[in-house]
Amino acid sequence: MAETLNALERYEALRLDADAVYEAWRMPDRPRIDIAMDTSSLANGAQDTGRALAGLIASSNANVDLGQVHGYGMQWLHPTVQVTFPDGATVLYGPVRVEDAPRLLDEANGIWGAAADLRIGMIAGERDDIPSIRDHEFFSLEPRERRLTRNLGLIDPDNLQHYIARDGYRAAARMMGRHQSEEAVRNVLNEAGLTGRGGANFPTGVKWNFLFGAPGEVHYLVCNADEGDPGAWVNRVVMEGDPHLLLEGMLIGAFATKSREGFIYLRDEYPFSIQRMEHAIREAEAAGLLGDDILGTGVSFHLRVIRGAGSYVCGDETGLLSSISDDRGMPRVKPPFPAAVGALGKPSNVNNVESYANVPLILMHNAEWYREFGTERQSGTKIFSFSGDIPRVGFMELGFGASLARVLDVCGGVQGGQLKAIQPGGPLGSLVPGHVIEDLVLEPASFAPYDAILGGGGIVFCNDQTSVMVLVEMFSEFVEVESCGRCTTCHGGNQRKTEIVRRIIDGDGRREDEPNLHFIDRTIQFSNCAHGQLSPKIMRNILQHFHDDYERAVLGVDHTLTAKGLYEVVVANQRDPQLPAAVDICPTGAIQGEEGRRKVLADLCIRCGACLEVAPNAMAKQPKTARPGILALT
Amino acid sequence: MPLETESKARVRALISEFRPENGDLLATLHKVQHEFGYLSREAMEVIGEQLDLFPAHVYGAASFYEEFRFEPPAHTNIRWCSGPACRLRNSNGIRDAMLATLGLDEIHEQTEDGRVGVINGQCNGCCELAPMVWLEQHETHTVRPVGNLTAASAIRMARALRDGTEIEGALDAAFERTPSGSGVSNG
Repeated sequence: MAETLNALERYEALRLDADAVYEAWRMPDRPRIDIAMDTSSLANGAQDTGRALAGLIASSNANVDLGQVHGYGMQWLHPTVQVTFPDGATVLYGPVRVEDAPRLLDEANGIWGAAADLRIGMIAGERDDIPSIRDHEFFSLEPRERRLTRNLGLIDPDNLQHYIARDGYRAAARMMGRHQSEEAVRNVLNEAGLTGRGGANFPTGVKWNFLFGAPGEVHYLVCNADEGDPGAWVNRVVMEGDPHLLLEGMLIGAFATKSREGFIYLRDEYPFSIQRMEHAIREAEAAGLLGDDILGTGVSFHLRVIRGAGSYVCGDETGLLSSISDDRGMPRVKPPFPAAVGALGKPSNVNNVESYANVPLILMHNAEWYREFGTERQSGTKIFSFSGDIPRVGFMELGFGASLARVLDVCGGVQGGQLKAIQPGGPLGSLVPGHVIEDLVLEPASFAPYDAILGGGGIVFCNDQTSVMVLVEMFSEFVEVESCGRCTTCHGGNQRKTEIVRRIIDGDGRREDEPNLHFIDRTIQFSNCAHGQLSPKIMRNILQHFHDDYERAVLGVDHTLTAKGLYEVVVANQRDPQLPAAVDICPTGAIQGEEGRRKVLADLCIRCGACLEVAPNAMAKQPKTARPGILALT
Repeated sequence: MPLETESKARVRALISEFRPENGDLLATLHKVQHEFGYLSREAMEVIGEQLDLFPAHVYGAASFYEEFRFEPPAHTNIRWCSGPACRLRNSNGIRDAMLATLGLDEIHEQTEDGRVGVINGQCNGCCELAPMVWLEQHETHTVRPVGNLTAASAIRMARALRDGTEIEGALDAAFERTPSGSGVSNG
């Protein structure tokens, strides 16, 4: 039992230092401005804001420090910053642009009120009557106390000690110290009902069991961080907001599966996540929480990040394992399952980022705590990202079972038109008609009646101003291009499907397209992996739920005027003063003729929409006349 | 066996840390492309020797991924976001307008003088900025996200890049603002 004391004792020693450092950060001697630094913040100019603040602080010798946090979830207000005052009160501001830097600095530096209009809410503590961020409408559907996102805004993600001071690595230390057996860990995960968060929903504890029982000395624990669904950035939030939560989950997983080495397969499109994870690994190694002889137990776990290179099917576990193993990232036939033959040919286990991230939280509490949120069928909370035709783009952590209609409300409702479609689960996901939103809750079973899936957590709301045929063309091309090419059904079928959809959009729909699309659908489903099997789903959803739109498009009619071949651009007002600007901007020189007699040459016009933007009164879209050669069925 | 060329020696030195059967291929390819801008035939031969793989295996694996190039990249690449939030805001029009402005037929082509190319990008979850592109320059390892585009601003940006303007100037042109030299690249 000497070992037992050792691991926890070592943890407590780390904890003591960490508490002091964190206390000083939470209650700083002088005000500190923390810039939100994450992929979205950076794209919104966080670095420019940071540089402006740094410059001002230096030139005015202000008694203020600078630091960093992760964004809180309200991406439409990025770039955000937080100010923490010596009493521990933390105010969130946004958007804070370069020109707002002086008054933000004033506000932090004693002129309270200088940036009053930029205040969003209190992250911690109290100040005047500024409401808590937890009372903000956008977060009103979240649990009062966040779980997976509990550290956002309350730690510097690049600081291991902040994570430790927030009870981080305690669950791992308890386990390493043999306070819990491997079996007990797997059991508590099963009792909690933790399932694969990538969308497949396989019980995590059961999966770990497979690897634990696998033969041989070398087991690999693998994290699938290849979050490839467009419109989903759930894993990104975990990795950039609380990287040690993932590392601790993997450390526990390594212990529970007898793995001594692990990989985080991280998509190339997330360079900032890669940076954060690699930094976190180095920090954990230096503190003796990763690497050899972890917390003095003699146990080792070596972890490294494998950077993907832009291949969607590497999100399939066998594709991912092939990719790690120096091969093309092609999914293969199972069996053998990864627990028998995985990375570099050795027994392996692959889980999603969020699956691992839940583990320390469950062990820190218990299965019952985990089941406080969620439904009978699907317990716990999950991060969801919301985008599309809504004013408030961002992410939330929601219990399974949350009402999608209420989610749309707190996202500010649909803008620019009426809700036409809901797109969950990325290109292998679905297109659900907007009018059923009141029946939808965020759990997989709720989507099943619509031949739909919930997927990995990305949800895109689509208004009625873009043709669903334009959307299906996008997803069809995506699954075609990203097909690995192994199954003819998939690469050939998706090619045909894309060609047909394009032809319809171009105004050459045929009566036989629909039966052919059904035939292609049935054929593609015979593909080997989930990519092929699910790839015809969105097209099928169109024929199921949006048949009127499909039918009209085949007849050459598109009320949205977004399907390229079904409308034309014309000069609506020869005398409009902005007409010359339209002529100038046209990238193909399609607007020709003398003044007063200008005309759009249909053969040259690519319908990019630029002329309509610069001269909205001079130019107009006009439906093409419905095609005479094809008859409506009804 | 031909004599070792200087560039082969450079590749060899660059990747000396990587080992066979260690899951190092992707990291090796990334490192070489980061340094040279693309994967040349001889670089792939050296990688094969280092990792104990046939050059055909190296090329076969590398060509599977969208991010590896086998020709030098354009001076400035416009990485066009193909995600759904962008499509809802006319990103198809933006793509077609940029291609037409640059005289290109398809994504992944570049202008004859090598100044500007258009490549396909994947959603990274900054959909509040939709529609967006990233301007990338290999020489300086610059990646500049540009959000809230319109077809018209994309055309102005592509024209400026085509005519030899660098990134900041092209963004000033895109959003019709007076040269500032800094600030967020959003309309």
